[in-house]
Amino acid sequence: MYRADFCVAGTFRDFFLFRKTVMLRALLLLIVGTMVLFEILRQLSFLPLYPFPLLGSPSLANVAGGILFGIGMVTAGGCVVGTLYKMGGGSVISATAFIGLIAGSGIYAEIHPWWSGIVKEFTFFKGHLTLPQAIGCSPALILIPLILVSVFFFMRWQKQNKWHLTSYVEGYIQPWRAALYLALLGTLSYLLVGMPFGITTAYAKAAAYLTKLVAPAHVAQTAFYKAVPLDYSAPIIHVQLLGGAGPVVDAITYIQFPLIVGIILGAMIAALRLGEFKVYDRVPARQYVSALAGGVILALGSRMTPGCNIWHLFGGLPILNMQSLLFLAGLVPGSYIGSKILVHVVLSAGAKATP
Amino acid sequence: MKNNQPANIIVHDIRGQICPSCLLYTLREINRQKAAFKEGNTRIIIKTDNRDATTTIPDAVSSMGYECLVEKKKGYYELVIVPHRKKTIH
Repeated sequence: MYRADFCVAGTFRDFFLFRKTVMLRALLLLIVGTMVLFEILRQLSFLPLYPFPLLGSPSLANVAGGILFGIGMVTAGGCVVGTLYKMGGGSVISATAFIGLIAGSGIYAEIHPWWSGIVKEFTFFKGHLTLPQAIGCSPALILIPLILVSVFFFMRWQKQNKWHLTSYVEGYIQPWRAALYLALLGTLSYLLVGMPFGITTAYAKAAAYLTKLVAPAHVAQTAFYKAVPLDYSAPIIHVQLLGGAGPVVDAITYIQFPLIVGIILGAMIAALRLGEFKVYDRVPARQYVSALAGGVILALGSRMTPGCNIWHLFGGLPILNMQSLLFLAGLVPGSYIGSKILVHVVLSAGAKATP
Repeated sequence: MKNNQPANIIVHDIRGQICPSCLLYTLREINRQKAAFKEGNTRIIIKTDNRDATTTIPDAVSSMGYECLVEKKKGYYELVIVPHRKKTIH
């Protein structure tokens, strides 16, 4: 991700600000590539958990979460994963957003009971998780036409040479190649762990541990920290896995924390090897405020949806999960609003020029 | 005798800043310096640690009719925007 600069926040932001579409094409390739791999595995009965755990019935609240998520990821300068790999590369702005992400997760824990009521109130197609389930047809019936149309466009873009980006940086990985790597990794995760990549419950768990240091009794009584949403039998090892945001070592600790540490360390190693790791902190104060506030909004969006862009775009959309479709419906306008805030508020003052 | 050294060199140090500061500030500066660029005695130097900017800036400025030279420095990249076409450093 570091070497390709595979930034999902930048993908949407740069489309709205500069009409740059090359990363949107790469993102579509990632989604459709994952769709193909998931469907092949499903047809071969390699996915006993289909749809995968932690998904819920669709609710209009997913759209609201997506809007907040879009605003947050653009103003924070990266999504929940982009923040990690940029921080690994030495970005102080992303480290600030990381603090905001943990703080925002802690704030959400306090409003969780109120928000849960809203989610329930606006839930529809109760018990149906994916679009094929809601329509009552086989997933292949919708997925195959979607894949065929996408492949048509992919080949057209290939003819128009629209996949390749000219880059002058060392060790650059073309975004289309990074998209295919990420599709393969996500599929591997589904196959081995029983679900694709997710990361944000770990942020909430970190918030729980920190809050516990100052208010242990409060954490013990907080409904959000007491809940155990992850409860499933893992494939291959056939062990019951339980996990939640509470400050205890559970399946979330084993599944999501290594991913967070791995992304930060992986990016740090890549940056060090390329001689690019350097910490610059002389950044306008307005940008620190944006990163911190963006991180908080991003965390609130991810908890309120629930789920992040990696979970929904890289995992949920390929199986046409309805929460993911609604999240995307919110993410697009949210990113637009975030882009406008970034240009007109955060970056309205020019950088200092030294003639 | 004509002096090859530009009289006006504008340096923007955008290292560590939030994305997409580099591209935004570059485009704003180019627009500000349009007249000076026409005279051919101005160049803009952008210091950035954002890898993506080394792709987006050359792409954007070349579509505006300018040339961008990219050079890797110690821990960052330096982008030099000149009003006339020169060979790009790889």
